[in-house]
Amino acid sequence: MTEIRYRRLLALYPRHFRQEYGDEMLGVLMADPRPGAAQAFDVVRGAIAAHLRLMVTGQSRAARTVAIFGAMLLFAVALRRLMPELRALQLYPEYAQPVEPATWARLAGWGVALVAAYLGWRLLGAVGATVGLAGEIAAPARFYLETPATVLYAYWLIVAAVIVLIAGLVAAGRGGPEPRGLPWVAAAGTLLIAQGSFYPRALSLFGTVLFLAAAVLVAVAVFQQEPEIRARLLCWAAPVIVTVPLVQWGFGGLIKYNMGHPDSLQLISPLQWAVLVLVPLAAFAGVSVLSRRDIPGLTTSRR
Amino acid sequence: MIRRFAYADRRYILSGVNEPTFLILTALAGESMHGYAVIEDVEHMTGGRVRLRAGTLYAALDRLRGEGLIEVDREEVVQSRLRRYYRLTGAGEQSLEAESARLRAQATLAEGRLRARRTNFGGATA
Repeated sequence: MTEIRYRRLLALYPRHFRQEYGDEMLGVLMADPRPGAAQAFDVVRGAIAAHLRLMVTGQSRAARTVAIFGAMLLFAVALRRLMPELRALQLYPEYAQPVEPATWARLAGWGVALVAAYLGWRLLGAVGATVGLAGEIAAPARFYLETPATVLYAYWLIVAAVIVLIAGLVAAGRGGPEPRGLPWVAAAGTLLIAQGSFYPRALSLFGTVLFLAAAVLVAVAVFQQEPEIRARLLCWAAPVIVTVPLVQWGFGGLIKYNMGHPDSLQLISPLQWAVLVLVPLAAFAGVSVLSRRDIPGLTTSRR
Repeated sequence: MIRRFAYADRRYILSGVNEPTFLILTALAGESMHGYAVIEDVEHMTGGRVRLRAGTLYAALDRLRGEGLIEVDREEVVQSRLRRYYRLTGAGEQSLEAESARLRAQATLAEGRLRARRTNFGGATA
């Protein structure tokens, strides 16, 4: 095989791998007397493996940050939803509905997941996050056959719960450092709980201000991370972020139709379910590839 | 016995060790080598049974560098092409030593079982 052909094959490798080893590999390939398809196949296989490795390398530290931040925010959101129900029970015990077991389970699940993620107890974290995820699914699923939009509106939370579960499984184990910016996320969670408990956004402009302030605090925490961790946090957040425009524009017609035709309800079709699953996955893969394209000095396994 | 060893020395056992990785470390245990020399040495050590290819070799070298088991010893330019020599690090030496001990223990166990089998069955083989 000619040098030009080998160069074309080596172009399949990630840029940083190529910069690190491309010249050497070319020398070895040219010196190797075994030409042919098997040699080409080995190079292509190596290129695919390098891309896959690059996608997952160094994720464990970022995953620990995602698991802790995510569980903390999901715990805050679960508590934020519970507080008004508890207040209603306290103020109007004769009218208010008792709190659903799924609501308690969700809160307990994220609480356990948060403690376990902080301590680096992966198994306990997985159990907590699974309970939390089940709660996130069960809460809107109860209303699916009456108002399918409930599931769509809560879909970002379900995706976030899946992300936190996966992040907890691949996170660095015990003894990992405390992620930077943790107090900022804790403050954001506190604001979310206060907003949900005392200033519902539908009734209070101050509630919206608190909600936005919480988002800013989370952004500050993300900004405080090291550049490569920040890039990876973006990969983990992408599937959650992409669900908002996906539901807004991709499923706006379905939601609008169901609002206007309560007698002939349209449920989410299998194809639409597939889109709901595949788009977040594609977002993770896409941002993962893009975030590595121009990080100077990022070699394949040195981080 | 083997189980106790495996747990005690777990931190030195190579993660996801496979034969090419073991052979590359073994090759570099002798002296620092460039990529093609590693391929030739591995082929020589295994009597021609294993001949690494460039894609497999550099994937392994990159992983081993990332794990701190090998490092670049020196570089030179030969025929206007970079040639990099790799050597085993202290951690690589410990890993190779632990992996060798594990394989030796397994081989000893297998030999013991085979001896016992021959004794029990009076040397008969199935």
